[in-house]
Amino acid sequence: MTILSKSLKKLTAFAAALLFMGTTSTRAEDTVKVGILHSLSGTMAISETSLRDVLLFTFDEINANGGVLGKMIEPVEADGASDWPTFAEKAEQLLAVDKTAAVFGCWTSVSRKFVLPVFEKYKGLLFYPVQYEGEEESPNIFYTAEAVGQQAIPAVDYLLEEGYTKFYLIGTDYVYPQTTNIVLFEYLLSKGIPVENIGGGIRYEGDVAVSAGNYTPFGHTDFQQIVAEIKDFAASGDACVVNTINGDANVPFFKEIASSGLSSEDCPIVSFSLSEDEFRSLPTKDLVGHLGCWTYFMSIDSDANDAFKANFQEWLATKAPAAVQKEGRVTCSPMVLSYDGVYLWKAAVEKAGTFDPEAVIKALESGISFDGPGGTVTTQKNHHLTKSVYIGETLEDGQFDILEVIPDVYGEPWLKGTFK
Amino acid sequence: MRTETANKHPVLFLKTTRRAWYGCSAVLCLALLPALLAAQEERGAREVFADLILAQAGEQAIWVETLSGYGDPIISEVYAAWRAGGIYAFESDGNTRVLMQVNGDGWVAVRTGEAVQLSEAAIAKLSKIRPSRKLRKSMKGLIDTLGLKAPDPATRIDSAIKMGRSQKSEFIEPLRKRLEAEPEEQVQAALREALAISLLANGDDAEVLLAVTDLEEMQSIPAKDFIEKVLAAETAGKGATTELAVACQSALKSIESHMKTLEFYGSFFRGFSTGSVLLIVSFGLAITFGLMGVINMAHGEFVAIGGYVTFMVQRAFIDVWGIGSTAFEWYFIVALPLSFVVAALLGLLLEKSVIRFLYRRPLESLLCTWGISMVMQQAFRLIFGAANVQVNNPGWLMGNLNYAGFNMSFTRLFVLLLALVVVFLTWLLLRKTNLGLHIRAVMQNRDMASGLGIPVARVNSMTFALGCGLAALGGAALSQIGNVGPLMGQAYIVDSFMVVVIGSVGNLLGAGLSAMGIGLVDQLLQPSLGPVMGKITVFLIIILFLQWRPGGIFPTRSRSLED
Repeated sequence: MTILSKSLKKLTAFAAALLFMGTTSTRAEDTVKVGILHSLSGTMAISETSLRDVLLFTFDEINANGGVLGKMIEPVEADGASDWPTFAEKAEQLLAVDKTAAVFGCWTSVSRKFVLPVFEKYKGLLFYPVQYEGEEESPNIFYTAEAVGQQAIPAVDYLLEEGYTKFYLIGTDYVYPQTTNIVLFEYLLSKGIPVENIGGGIRYEGDVAVSAGNYTPFGHTDFQQIVAEIKDFAASGDACVVNTINGDANVPFFKEIASSGLSSEDCPIVSFSLSEDEFRSLPTKDLVGHLGCWTYFMSIDSDANDAFKANFQEWLATKAPAAVQKEGRVTCSPMVLSYDGVYLWKAAVEKAGTFDPEAVIKALESGISFDGPGGTVTTQKNHHLTKSVYIGETLEDGQFDILEVIPDVYGEPWLKGTFK
Repeated sequence: MRTETANKHPVLFLKTTRRAWYGCSAVLCLALLPALLAAQEERGAREVFADLILAQAGEQAIWVETLSGYGDPIISEVYAAWRAGGIYAFESDGNTRVLMQVNGDGWVAVRTGEAVQLSEAAIAKLSKIRPSRKLRKSMKGLIDTLGLKAPDPATRIDSAIKMGRSQKSEFIEPLRKRLEAEPEEQVQAALREALAISLLANGDDAEVLLAVTDLEEMQSIPAKDFIEKVLAAETAGKGATTELAVACQSALKSIESHMKTLEFYGSFFRGFSTGSVLLIVSFGLAITFGLMGVINMAHGEFVAIGGYVTFMVQRAFIDVWGIGSTAFEWYFIVALPLSFVVAALLGLLLEKSVIRFLYRRPLESLLCTWGISMVMQQAFRLIFGAANVQVNNPGWLMGNLNYAGFNMSFTRLFVLLLALVVVFLTWLLLRKTNLGLHIRAVMQNRDMASGLGIPVARVNSMTFALGCGLAALGGAALSQIGNVGPLMGQAYIVDSFMVVVIGSVGNLLGAGLSAMGIGLVDQLLQPSLGPVMGKITVFLIIILFLQWRPGGIFPTRSRSLED
C-alpha cells in the first residue's frame, strides 16, 4: 500500500467523521440524550427488561407532549448484561462518550455499588428504582426506590398489629436481604419481641449481632430443612415469615410451604421481592393469602393509575418497538418508580431551566412533587422520596388485594443502629 | 350431634327475626326425622351463608356468629370455594343471587343448592366476591370448630390442635365433649393435647400442674412455647423451685430432646428425598455419560424438556377439561410417560444426526453437546419465553403424610417412589432382557460386539434415547417441586455429573449410592451449618473423597476402558 492511498484513506475517514459530527450537532439542538442502564441479557434480564420497556414508554409519552424544555428525549440504551463490571463500563460510556443528561437504571444493589463511583467521578445523575437496603446516600444518585423504612418496617408493623409475635427471617445470601434483616432484627427487639421469637438463627461477633435469619444461595432448590424448621417454629401459633428470597428460588420455597400444610392463616409470609411482574412466572395458587408490601400495586383504584395502565397498554399495542414483549404485561412497583423518576427529572430540569446535572440535583433536593400512579411522591434533601406505602394480599390471579395504606412515609436510608 | 349444635346457642336465635325463624324451625325439626333435620339444617346454613356473603363489612360479624350455630359440612365447602375466588354475585331482575363455581364451569346457587344454567352473556356479567382478611380470621375459628366433626381424622386432629393453641376458654367445652365421643385413638391424643395446652392458660394451679405433666408425657411440640410462658410467670412470681416450675423445666427438657430426635430422623428422610431428586435427574446421565462415555453437556436441557412437556400437557388438560375438573387431576400421570417418549425421540434424532460421529472423540462430544445445550436453551426461550412457566400440582400430590411426628410431603414421597421404580426398571432392562445384554456388550467393547453380530449402531441409538428419556422423566418429576424454565437444566447439571463421577462412571448402582450419600450428607449438615456453608462443605467432602478414591465408589476394572 502506498503512502498516498494511506493518507487518502485517512482523509476520507476524517471527512466522514466531520460529517458525522455535523449531523449529530444539528440533532443535538432539539434532542437531549438520556441513558437507560439495565440488564437486557443474562439472569436479571427477566426483571430488568420490564423497566427498559416502561422507560421507553415514558419517554414517548413526554415527547408526545412536547418534550423537556422544548427538547425531545433521545434514549440511549446500554446493556449491563447482568454482569457488574459491565455495568460500570457502560455507565462510563453513557457519561463520558454519550454525555447523557441523566441515567435511569440498575436493579440489583451490587450493580448500583459498581456504578456509584463512576457517577460520582463524572458528576452524573442516576435514578435508581428498585427496593433496596438503604445505608447509602450518594450525591449523584436519586433513590426513587423503597428504602427499608418504606417496605420492610411498615410490613412488620402491620404484622405486629395483627398480633403476630414470632418472626422467621429468611433470604438469599447477598447484601440486600442481609442488611434488611439485620435492621428488622434491631427493629423487632426495639418493639419488645424477645430474641428467641426471632427465627432463622442469629450470628454474633462478640456481643453484636452481625447477621439475622437463614440464608440460601441464589437459585436454591431444596427448602425441605428450612420449611421443617419453620413448621416447628410456627407449631405454637402466632408466627409469620419475612421472606427476602430473590428470584426463582421462591418457586421451590412456596411449593414446599404449600405441601407442608402451612396455610397463610396459620403462618403468613410477607415477601419483599415478589411483585406483579414476578407473579407472571410463579404458581400463584401456592401464594394466595400471603402478603406483599410495596409503594405501588397494579390494583390501586385511582384515576392516575387507570390512565397509566391504559396508556402503557396502548403504547404496547401501537408504538412499542418490536423487541418489547406485548402479551400479558402487568405493571409493578419498580416500573412505576422508574416512571415517577423520569417525571421528577423532567420537573427538576424545568425548574432549574437547564439539563446540567448539578443544577438538576439542586432542584430535586429542594423538593419536587409528582402525582404518580401510586400517589403523590416528593423528593427529599437526602435523595429519597416521600411516598405512600401499600400492604396487600396475594390473589390467585397474581394481583394484590390492598389491605392497608400508610400515606406519605418519609424515605430514610440510615436505619441501622437507630432502634434502641 | 347436629341437634346439639343447633340448640346450643338459643339466645343467638332470637337476635333477629330471621334467626328467630330458624330457631323455631330448629325446634320443630327436633320432632322430625334426622334426615329431614339434616336437610333443614343445610338449608338454614345455606341461607345464612348467602346473607353473610352479601353483607356489608360491618355486619358480617353477626352473620358469622349466627353461622356458628350450624354445624353443617356445607359451610366448609362454600367457604373453601369463597377463599379460592369461586363465589360470584349475579344480578338479575333487581335481585342479587350468590353463585358458587363448581368443577370449573358449573354453577350452583349458594342459597338453595340448586344447579344454575348460565348463558355466556350472564357469565360475563358475574362479579367475583372475596372474603376480607378480617372476615377470614373470624371464619377460621368457625371452620376449625367444624373441623372437629369432620369425617377425616386428620382434619379433626388439625382443628383440635388449632383450638388448643388459641387457648380460648370457650373451646374447652367442645373439646371435652368431642373427647368423650371420639372413637379414634390418635384424635383422642390430639384432643387431650389441645385441652392440656388450653388449660395452661385457663386452669387453676392444680390443673396447670397436671396439664404440664400430661404434656411432658405427650412430648408435645406445640406446647413448648406455652410451657415456657408458664415457667417464666412462675419464676417471676414465686421462684424457680416451686413444684410447678420444676415440672415445667423437666417437661421442656423432655420436649426439646424429643424435637432433637425428630429432627435427626427427619433429616434422614429429607436426605433420602434430596438423594432421590439427585438420582432421578442424574440417572439419564449415568447412562449417556456413564455407560456410553458421551460427555453429554445437553443433559440438563433434556431434563428441562421433561418440565416443558409437563407444562404443555397441563395446558392441554386445562384447555380441554378446565382447571378444577377431575380429568385435570390426571394430567401429571399422562405427562410422565409422554415426557419420556418426547425426549427419547429427540435423543434418537440427536444421536442419529450428531452423536454417532463422536463416539471415539470425547473432547469433541463435550464441545458439541455444550453447543447443543445452548441451542436448546435458546429454543426454549423462543418457544416458551424467557420467564419461567407455571406448573400446578394435581390435588392428590398436595399435602403431606404425618407419621410419628415428622412430615413427608406427597410430592417428595412421589419423587422417592418414582426414583426407586426407575432404578428397578432400568436394572431389569439391563440385566434381564436381550436389549440389555446387547447394551452392556456394546458399551464394553464396540468393535468386539460388532464382530459378534450385534447391531451396534441401533443399540447405540437406543441407549442414548433411553438416557435422554430418563433425563426428561426426572424433569417431569422436578416440575412438581421446583422451577420450569429455560435455565432449569443448568441448576442440576453440575450435581448430575457429581453423582455419576462419585458413583464411578459406568456403574448404575454406584450412581444410586452416591446420590443417596450426597443427599444425606447435605441434609444432615444443613441444620448446623446452614444451606450456604452446608453446600460448600459437601463440595469439600467430595473433593477429598475423589482424592482418596479417584475412581469413585466402585472403580471400573475392565481393561477396555483403561485408556
